[in-house]
Amino acid sequence: MSEPILELRNATIQFGGLVAVDNVSFEIQKGELFGLIGPNGAGKTTCFNMVTGVYKPTGGDIIFKGQRINGIPPFKVAKLGIARTFQNIRLFGALSVLENVVIGGFLRNRTNIFSSLGYMPGAIKETERLRENAMALLEVMDLADEAHGRSSDLPYGKQRRLEIARAMATQPDLLLLDEPAAGMNPQESEDLMNTVRKLRDDFGKTVLLIEHDMKFVMNLCERMVVLDHGEEIARGVPAEIRNHPEVIKAYLGEAC
Amino acid sequence: MKFWAIRVGSILLAVLVSYGIGMVAQGSSGTVSRLIALAGLYVTLAVSLNLINGITGQFSIGHAAFYQVGSYTAAFLASQLLARGTINNLGTPIPWVLAAVGIAIVTSGIAGFLIGLPSLRLRGDYLAIVTLGFGEILRIIIQNTPQLGGSYGINSPKAFVVPYVWMLAFLCIGACRNLLQTAHGLSFLSVREDEVASGAMGVNVTRVKVAAFVLGSAFAGAAGALLTFNEGFINVNSFTMDVSFIILTMVVLGGTGSITGSIIAALALFTLPEFLRDAPPMPLNAVLGTLAGVALLVGTIRLALDQKKLGRDFLTPKTYMGFGIAAVGGVIVSILANFLPALANRTIPSAELRMVIFSAVLVIMMLLRPQGIFGHREFGLGSIFKRAQA
Ligand SMILES: Nc1ncnc2c1ncn2[C@@H]1O[C@H](COP(=O)(O)OP(=O)(O)OP(=O)(O)O)[C@@H](O)[C@H]1O
Ligand SMILES: [Mg+2]
Repeated sequence: MSEPILELRNATIQFGGLVAVDNVSFEIQKGELFGLIGPNGAGKTTCFNMVTGVYKPTGGDIIFKGQRINGIPPFKVAKLGIARTFQNIRLFGALSVLENVVIGGFLRNRTNIFSSLGYMPGAIKETERLRENAMALLEVMDLADEAHGRSSDLPYGKQRRLEIARAMATQPDLLLLDEPAAGMNPQESEDLMNTVRKLRDDFGKTVLLIEHDMKFVMNLCERMVVLDHGEEIARGVPAEIRNHPEVIKAYLGEAC
Repeated sequence: MKFWAIRVGSILLAVLVSYGIGMVAQGSSGTVSRLIALAGLYVTLAVSLNLINGITGQFSIGHAAFYQVGSYTAAFLASQLLARGTINNLGTPIPWVLAAVGIAIVTSGIAGFLIGLPSLRLRGDYLAIVTLGFGEILRIIIQNTPQLGGSYGINSPKAFVVPYVWMLAFLCIGACRNLLQTAHGLSFLSVREDEVASGAMGVNVTRVKVAAFVLGSAFAGAAGALLTFNEGFINVNSFTMDVSFIILTMVVLGGTGSITGSIIAALALFTLPEFLRDAPPMPLNAVLGTLAGVALLVGTIRLALDQKKLGRDFLTPKTYMGFGIAAVGGVIVSILANFLPALANRTIPSAELRMVIFSAVLVIMMLLRPQGIFGHREFGLGSIFKRAQA
């Protein structure tokens, strides 16, 4: 097997007395659609926060494309090629839909601030280029019609899609989606599934996603890891997970 | 080609307008000339604070401190040159003025950098306290430093700087406007909107905040240096908390983030006290009555606005009743105030009245229109300031 794009090695994080993620290890290969599931409070979002540099693991390592990235600040992680969406949507609400995506692309900006303050041709061209890229991504995410509306005015489902567009604008190799289908109706969910597949098939992205909607994960993801109370309880392909006794036990009492 | 023609044309226009304003100032009395200069300085101060507070979303309330750093830098340099006989008391030659402005930009930029650092960890009120504290510490240090004139102040030969004041204002406006036209400016706005999300999108939040502080305070410092040569004498009283408060009011009133809003609010709030200056002292009971009336009026409007949000009419019998109560309430308060020995027959000098008005305006704004008069929008010559659409 080739070198994995992302590897968690005994990743552990402790908040006071609470071990939110406990010795979790898994590898994701380039081009995979990988699921991270588990009941509420299992530590899924915390895993994302460790990978993206929001939290520094208290133990273990996070390896991205062969490089150890524990404790690297989030903006640098983004530059290395990991982009994410947020479980509780965090758009730049007062800005337009298009501007949100332009900001996503800004990290590959090659001009300096003086060129922008002076409105020099370099900065104008760069902004124009980012805008064109952003518009193309809005087409892909089916948001082009709302490009100039305020992002906070979008309906919920579209806000989630916009978060993905914004993350895609950073030109990541690895895309982390935190509950992308939450709050969507079945039709929107279905469309989203096709879009995520397209991001992998047509754009070559590797996707790691958290999702509570079992139908969504089982249909979309090729492999997955199940966490409960910060620990891994199962891993495998959807068919294995569906009938795994530990998983059924963990989810018992939860709607799934 | 067309791009450069517009570019050179607009710069020329700004320079010409600045000289035009300078000529008007030269032709008018000393007082009016001074006001024209101060108005331009306040535009720079408001627009530069807007970069920090409105565009980048930091809460700095001590902008006068950077104004002061620039002003004292220039005054100190001028006093040194004077002592060495390089310049004389008749006036500072313009090249020296511009050199002093350049150095003031550096010193105030450094001050902005140092104050910007806490903004990396502190948010909201806490940052506000640091910025305010910086101004107070600076004042005390200066008051106890004889080389800087102590509490008396410091003399520096005057120069006619009105055209430069307005060129600085146009430069500051232009720089902020340009920034917002580019992706760079969007990264500043993104920090205001959501720091965590900005970081996750690769925006170096630290760098953006520090850049906003350095730029904003460098502009304020340049304004301070020009103030020095415009006045010929400065002391710590020109940079009290009041001044910071007025600049902040301008930004809030103009709508945080709106450049045009800041400009208009700066001009409006700057001229208002000048009209008040010659006004006779106001009886205290009348002021209190007016405030009470306005408070009731604002309360009524606020309630009526809430009604309207629920789909009902703005003007209902209840609203009219509220207006009536506001009027009667105001009169009653002013009559009652005269019965209290502590309040009866007292007057408020017009200079202090403006602080009352500023505070009232700020509170009213917060209640009725927290987003400022212009909100986040740009206004007027429209397309010049509006962020570009694709
Ligand atoms: N900054 C923090 N400080 C203290 N505890 C935290 C912190 N962040 C997360 N936790 C705790 O870690 C545990 C895991 O939280 P996490 O958000 O990762 O769960 P999750 O699997 O994403 O759940 P959900 O499905 O509800 O989103 C929870 O008990 C949470 O309270
Ligand atoms: Mg979560």
